[in-house]
Amino acid sequence: MIFNLKNMNTLIKLTLCISVFSFSSMIFSQQNGKLDIIDRDVPQKYALSSIGLTNPIYRDFATSPLFYSGIGIEISRAWMKRSEERERNFGIGFGISFQTARIPESNFIQPGSIAGFGKFDIFYQELWKIEALSDSKNNTKVGGVILVTQNIRGNPELQNNILGLENISNLMASAQWTRDISRTENKILNLWLWKPTLKPVKRDLRFLLNVGVLNFNYRPGYAYAYDSELNGMETNPVKWAYSNFKWSLNGWRIKTQLEYIQYMPNGNARSLSYVWEASNVPGKFENFQMAIHQLRYTVYFNCKKR
Amino acid sequence: MKYLILIISILLFSSCEKILFKKDMGSTNPLDNFDYLWNEVDKKYSYFELKNIDWDQMKNTYRPMLKDNSTEVELFTVLESMLNELKDDHTNLISPFNVSQYNVALNGAKNYRPRTIEEFYLQDPWRTGALKHDFLSNNEVGYIRYGSFSSGFSDSQMDLILDRYKDTKGIILDLRENGGGAIFNIPKLLGRFVESTTLVGYSITRNGEAHTDFGEKENFYITPHGNVQYLKPVVVLIDRGSYSATTFFAVATKAFPNITLIGDATGGGGGLPNGGQMPNGWTYRFSISQLLDLNDNNYAENGVPADIEVAFDWNNLETDEILERGILEIK
Repeated sequence: MIFNLKNMNTLIKLTLCISVFSFSSMIFSQQNGKLDIIDRDVPQKYALSSIGLTNPIYRDFATSPLFYSGIGIEISRAWMKRSEERERNFGIGFGISFQTARIPESNFIQPGSIAGFGKFDIFYQELWKIEALSDSKNNTKVGGVILVTQNIRGNPELQNNILGLENISNLMASAQWTRDISRTENKILNLWLWKPTLKPVKRDLRFLLNVGVLNFNYRPGYAYAYDSELNGMETNPVKWAYSNFKWSLNGWRIKTQLEYIQYMPNGNARSLSYVWEASNVPGKFENFQMAIHQLRYTVYFNCKKR
Repeated sequence: MKYLILIISILLFSSCEKILFKKDMGSTNPLDNFDYLWNEVDKKYSYFELKNIDWDQMKNTYRPMLKDNSTEVELFTVLESMLNELKDDHTNLISPFNVSQYNVALNGAKNYRPRTIEEFYLQDPWRTGALKHDFLSNNEVGYIRYGSFSSGFSDSQMDLILDRYKDTKGIILDLRENGGGAIFNIPKLLGRFVESTTLVGYSITRNGEAHTDFGEKENFYITPHGNVQYLKPVVVLIDRGSYSATTFFAVATKAFPNITLIGDATGGGGGLPNGGQMPNGWTYRFSISQLLDLNDNNYAENGVPADIEVAFDWNNLETDEILERGILEIK
């Protein structure tokens, strides 16, 4: 079965549109008018569960000069402790997707490549408030995050290089701006025939930017093949898979998240966010490049409800 | 503030990676594709020296045959011819309409006729996994046919087979026209015929742009495997159709005095192939490593010679001379 790029892009756009439409109910949902749900001076503990639609794009120059793009899902779990002054996050995530190569159009018989892409993330983040950039409506924090990503890729078209692995580990500088966009009084929406009244609601808009400072990566050797597979029966499979891999300190990584958070009367919250990240991983020999667009829905379970 | 949010949102939603990454290199231009493949082979192919190939000369010979408007069939034909200069069946170009192959086996005589064995030697062969086996020569010899290292067998299946032939004087393992496959099956099979962990060879892999740049030697060990071992004489039948994993197997047998190679030299295939994709989406593979014997010789790519050379006589189709010689060796 061969998907061409045009079909895949249409599928991605359609899926994202459906998702946005589905999530829009959250934005217009009604609350009970309480605005004092969260006491900002008291540290809040949340357990976060997220599910997202992802559009990963990558290119591994060791095996192909072509971009691979596809669609998949990502689920993640995180634990957050947050106050006005400080915020700590720890999380893990797993994503899986299917990709097609962006192959230029043939005027004879169109080649096709379908690949599988799995991604594991683990991160820890600490943020501290910057008083000079904060007020009653705005909260700005800066800090750092350790983000470790392990990719597992499978592409049968690549013959003996069917398996692709890379580890991307980064110490990143982090900046987060949170804007209180709570609706403080009733508001009537004029939608021609339908004029709903929106009650007061507690909500935040948050923008997070992570920029790699120390960018480590673990990439295959020069010829990108498992030349020690001769020892495969006698060696640990992990040791076999990573034979001849080398650590490098180079490249860059950026991750951003724009998040709309709406609090519920019981102290929980839910959010819709757009996450974008991009990495350039030169390794020792050949580049790996990756970008991921994600539309993510998150539920914040307040672990210390009033 | 609303404008700021709008600007940030637009930036985020506008696929920023397009300005951060190098341009998309997908191309159907024949010359772009020729250059890409030529460069990849130049950087990573492992047997230029052994085969005395002037790769720059290949570029001078084949690139002028292409133009910007050459058809895909013309491009394939030129690339196929260039790759076949490597005389390596681990080198293939794969397009949606054709797959290139050098076909090493055609360089030697054919030495295997399955029907001769089926009709004149086997009485009641069993098929256990990928292995066909039977008794020969009044139950004094066990015969095991393994046609492809791509086909599997379980440890318990192999236990059963070796237990069945435990009272024979020796086993003949027929690997003629076995074109190779999963390299993991080598220690799985050969490990049944050895007594202790043994170093049998090495592998070296390209690690630099010079054609002679190779990394450190990787040891190739064979370890006793499974519940049942067979340590009596073993004869392995080989020919020019025995390629890749079978060549690795043949090199490894040289380390064991109870194993004898009979027939013709193997076809070669001593390099582990990689895999890759061209700017037009076609894929390819070629050898990126060398197999060395215990004396650091890399002859395996040109074929592992038999310990006892015997040829099949096509004037007498009722006798398999190579198999007969194997039986004689055991008895």
